[in-house]
Amino acid sequence: MAGLTELQDEQLLRMMQAGNEDAFTALYRRRQGGIYRFVLEMSGSAPLAEDVTQEVFMALIRDNRGYDPARGSLAAYLFGMARHHALRFLKRDKTYVPIPPTWDGSGDSIEVAPGDDPHSALSRRETIHSVRQAILSLPEHYREAVVLCDLNEMSYEDTASVLGCSVGTVRSRLHRGRALLVQKLGVRAETGDEAINPSRCLA
Amino acid sequence: MNCKDFENTIHELVSRRVADTTKQLEALEHAGHCLWCALRLDEETKLTEKLQAFASTLQFQRAPARVEEELLRAFRESNSAGSAPLLEIGGKRLRQGLSWGLAFAATVAAAWIMIFLWPHFHPGASDHPNRVANHRPPGASEASRTKPAPVTRATEPARAALKGASPQAAYAWTLERTALGDSASELPTDFISLGTCDDSLCMDEATLVRVSLPAEALLAFGLGTGNDYSPEGSVQADVVLGSDGVPFAIRFVD
Repeated sequence: MAGLTELQDEQLLRMMQAGNEDAFTALYRRRQGGIYRFVLEMSGSAPLAEDVTQEVFMALIRDNRGYDPARGSLAAYLFGMARHHALRFLKRDKTYVPIPPTWDGSGDSIEVAPGDDPHSALSRRETIHSVRQAILSLPEHYREAVVLCDLNEMSYEDTASVLGCSVGTVRSRLHRGRALLVQKLGVRAETGDEAINPSRCLA
Repeated sequence: MNCKDFENTIHELVSRRVADTTKQLEALEHAGHCLWCALRLDEETKLTEKLQAFASTLQFQRAPARVEEELLRAFRESNSAGSAPLLEIGGKRLRQGLSWGLAFAATVAAAWIMIFLWPHFHPGASDHPNRVANHRPPGASEASRTKPAPVTRATEPARAALKGASPQAAYAWTLERTALGDSASELPTDFISLGTCDDSLCMDEATLVRVSLPAEALLAFGLGTGNDYSPEGSVQADVVLGSDGVPFAIRFVD
């Protein structure tokens, strides 16, 4: 198992296709966290994230020939499946998004370090809460781009593969999504009474 | 670099995705003398910090262990089920092979039965010699046995049946008995090829001739094996003759 962790996803997939359970376990443990978080960040629902994660890997077990290396990385393929399932669930049950986050408390509990100020810990907690709310309030297209690129640090190319669009579209959605977040989180820089308008800055 | 270029690179700049250091330095230099872009850089940096803080709270989030257990169970079942279809496929292939083999064997057996045993089991064939012996005209002489009966022209259905038959095949033809003028009291056998017709053209002018033959003739065709068979008797037969007088087929009539 220790040797398997050094192998690439595609190699693990091939071994898994040959019936190697350890390879499947290694692949699952490597990728399940990102997929779980992606759905959690997209939906705010831990049960949904759990269901989708299970669905994604169940689909990989059932039809492990569906992945085409020419179309992107295996990670992008798995995220793409997760996105598909998540959107399907979200469309079916729209109550997931408007409801306040239901993910388990571990994300909300901000541990106070011994030398840390309880006030700053509380402030951090409020910040986390507001960021989460702001992300959940974004339109789906922008939310996907922000979650994948900013929260999961995925490359533009992989994000484009997951979303099934061009890199330019990813950059555009990310730009708009971040602009909305700037507004929602009140981080817009002010110069006197006037908000910055980058379009005016054409020097 | 102008403000538009700066705006296009700002996300890469704050998320440290700029691979080109020259471009990064140019962007920072631009922000150094452009107030608007400096403020944009500031708000993007703040936003990135907030997002990273949020992401850090989730970095250890994982699906519960029960999901992995469930998936491993499914994986094992899938693998065990994956071998089952192979067996199933093998089983299907085996069954298909067996069924084809059985069908072929049955066809061959049926053909052999038709070729060799049909005349024995045919009512006319099995009973014929006995009946011939029983109904032999009393006082019939040896000379009268070979006396040809009145010649009858083969009817069109009979010709058609004879045309389609292979001369080499030792199977019997079934003709329409009524078309041949058989009386209801006659029980003819099927026609038996004599192997003298090489092509269907010889059947064009076929003629059917009623003859009387010694009963031993039945033995030559595998008939006359009944208990009441008498070699001294005579039998009636219909012989199909070609235009050149060569007999093509024969049937016995009781």
